Amino acid sequence: MSDEKKQALEAEIRSYVGKPIGPEVIGRDPVNEPMIRQWCDAMGESHPAYLDVDGAKGTVHGEIVAPPTMLQAWVMEGWDMHEGYDEPKNEQHRLHKLLADNGYTGVLGTNTEENYTRYLKLGETVKALTVIDEISEEKATGAGIGYFITTKTAFENQDGEELGSMSFRVLRFKPANPQPTASAAGGEEAVAQKPSRIKPPMGHDNGWWWERVADDGVIPIQRCTSCEKLRHPPRPMCDGCGHQGFDSIDASGKATLTTYTVVHYPQFPGYEYPIISIIVDLEEGERMASSLIDCEREDVKIGMALEAVIHEDDDGFKIPLFKPAS
Amino acid sequence: MTTLKANELETGQALPDLDFKTTTTVVAGGAIASRDYTPVHHDKAAAISQGLPDMFMNILTTQGICSRYVTDWAGPDAIVTRVKTKLGGPNMPGDTLKIRGKVLSTDGDAAEIEVTGNNAWGNHVTATFSLRLPA
Amino acid sequence: MPTTLHNEAAIAGIGQTAYSKNSGVSELQLATEAVRAAIDDAGIHPSEVDGLVTYTMDSSDEVEVARTVGIGDMTYWSQVNYGGGAAVGLITHAAMAVATGQAKNVVVYRALNGRSGQRMGQGVSGNIISSDLIHWSWYMPFGLLTPASWIALQANLYMEKYGATSEHLAHVAITQRMHAQNNPNAAMYGKPMTMDDYMNSRMVCEPLRLFDCCQEDDGGVALLITTPERAKDMKQKPAVMRAVTQASFEGQEQMTSFYRDDLAALPEMELAAKIVYEMSGLGPKDIDASCLYDAFTPEILMQLEAFGFCGKGEAKDFVTADSLTIGGALPNNTHGGLLSEAYMHGVNNIAEGVRLIRGESCNQPENVEHVLVTSGVGVPTGAVIFGQA
Ligand SMILES: [Zn+2]
Repeated sequence: MSDEKKQALEAEIRSYVGKPIGPEVIGRDPVNEPMIRQWCDAMGESHPAYLDVDGAKGTVHGEIVAPPTMLQAWVMEGWDMHEGYDEPKNEQHRLHKLLADNGYTGVLGTNTEENYTRYLKLGETVKALTVIDEISEEKATGAGIGYFITTKTAFENQDGEELGSMSFRVLRFKPANPQPTASAAGGEEAVAQKPSRIKPPMGHDNGWWWERVADDGVIPIQRCTSCEKLRHPPRPMCDGCGHQGFDSIDASGKATLTTYTVVHYPQFPGYEYPIISIIVDLEEGERMASSLIDCEREDVKIGMALEAVIHEDDDGFKIPLFKPAS
Repeated sequence: MTTLKANELETGQALPDLDFKTTTTVVAGGAIASRDYTPVHHDKAAAISQGLPDMFMNILTTQGICSRYVTDWAGPDAIVTRVKTKLGGPNMPGDTLKIRGKVLSTDGDAAEIEVTGNNAWGNHVTATFSLRLPA
Repeated sequence: MPTTLHNEAAIAGIGQTAYSKNSGVSELQLATEAVRAAIDDAGIHPSEVDGLVTYTMDSSDEVEVARTVGIGDMTYWSQVNYGGGAAVGLITHAAMAVATGQAKNVVVYRALNGRSGQRMGQGVSGNIISSDLIHWSWYMPFGLLTPASWIALQANLYMEKYGATSEHLAHVAITQRMHAQNNPNAAMYGKPMTMDDYMNSRMVCEPLRLFDCCQEDDGGVALLITTPERAKDMKQKPAVMRAVTQASFEGQEQMTSFYRDDLAALPEMELAAKIVYEMSGLGPKDIDASCLYDAFTPEILMQLEAFGFCGKGEAKDFVTADSLTIGGALPNNTHGGLLSEAYMHGVNNIAEGVRLIRGESCNQPENVEHVLVTSGVGVPTGAVIFGQA
């Protein structure tokens, strides 16, 4: 995009800031018990104040109230949403279409903030006015470069009494990589795969090791067939005698914890956090990296005795992990 | 049912774990209950055409489930005054949403609770609930 | 022909771009801007440069840089491997070239869109550039994917063995942040840090909090290396290399040297220390200031011990005595370092070493005769001691 084109686009998107996206939206139905009950069913909600008069009397509310997070539901457009918005219906749609037409085809909800002034009572009608509040400078993000667009919605009842507010932030971006990202919508693209842990490449020097883990359910340790020196991780030559031939022995699985870290961030798809990542000394004398499972954070101690388990992931990948020795 | 008091809470205190099994019914039911008829939340074919393997949970359902997770623990007289959410990857049928919570801070009768929901895709949601608790 | 690099080469020019989170320009533009600035700083013409050295990880090829900057004939170029471990390696290669006459004036450079482009902190999960994919595969499946996670394994053991705590790490982070408050080029300029700020920063990989980790930035740095004789005729006061070396120790791996007996030490840094002290005839007592590589705070503690500024396990007491501040025993990373100035893969720490010799640091201690600068920790690395001409 040329500088002039870019400036023109910037100017045009900035003209949306401060604009209401359209007229005030008035909830189709007043706050009512059937819709509350349907919500509670779907959410697994059993709060007494949402579900029956007697239950509500025993709470601070004294009467039936709607779940607070249901606030926006009362003014959702409902059925008409299923047809999509190829033709923009309001200012928000027009802003998004403008950016999409300029290559910012990705969209990703990033943050919401809802403030509840009070819980809603039966019979109240919810009204909502949404304004385009802020458009950020162009930012570089993991998904690609783009703009954060924040809308603010004020909720009130039929008497103009304040009920709460919501701000909603979305990222409109130029996709950095052509693969579909997990939460980016749009385009006829290949179907994303559910992530799993990163697999080792199966090369000549290491593939046999992972095959033995999978096929034999053991931790193999590479052994020089000339001088019998053990080595891990596997390498194509014995650093003791220079011999290339090798076989392997099966580790007993008994090990001690050499050191560890508890990994919190960044979080990669396919792993469950936090991860207790460890270095262990195998009984046979070699050292390896792995993770510790079935152990509480506070029970992890350098020097503790461990035993190996061959863990199988949902996708069938087998990997040696460790747990506290029984 | 009793409700916790703010001065009974300790910073860092954990809420009980909830492993929430996500099904097609839950995703579709939550979307319809929140009047969100966007096709990707109830129509698998629509989600596939957008590059995802299955329909995915809408934000209101995620918030509704997290809200009940917090008030199931805190008790019926805990008032939710604010929810801030940071949105991550999708939550789809077949995913177990591992919901965990902890007390971030307390101040008088107010408490801030952090809730995280993770699944095989990584972090689905991180939410901060502001509660007002009985004195 | 010289047989060591003692007093055989000097840094006569330094150049850098602004450091930012989104440069909005190509890495080649950053590289050439920094290279040109280093040449201008030395007061020579680009056509007088006949050698270039960069990182294997750098995306700007030597000939592309040469054509863009207007460098003419070249007789020497090379690239050094292992990320931040390459920093001192660049000037070692350049020093060898000028000392032997293979080249007269060599510019070394590193430029990266380290925040808006490929982010180092994201580790090895993305597009893996390294040919050493199988090496990483012994760690990736277990979730050990980032530099922080690899360093944390060693740091945790070190801290447990010697009783170092988060407070000790905090002293390193807070001191360098304080230094950055006088450095308008620093990313953390105008953002001082308290002990509470540090303690409240989120845990990344235990024991490392966010503020134990360096940043990710966009920018470029370049240095011009020549002989001390030629440097005399250039514009700036040169920083002469009293000693310079690369160092990789037995059992070395890239970030994962977990297979040695003592994980609570940095033997490659001990090797570098032995060589630079022998080559220079100097010892720890002669060093007036340092720029120790600081991708993560525990690395500073372990290096203080490796270079003999204190005994094994004593760094925790050394850092709490304000030793690393301007008036302390060893003013360290006076520009803010990788933690608080910018993550330029260590080359910005060498540039600060040169400024300390020139007397031009934003936090200049008095009477600086000798400055020690190191490169990456946990990788094949190197060290240099600068002295006055
Ligand atoms: Zn052998």
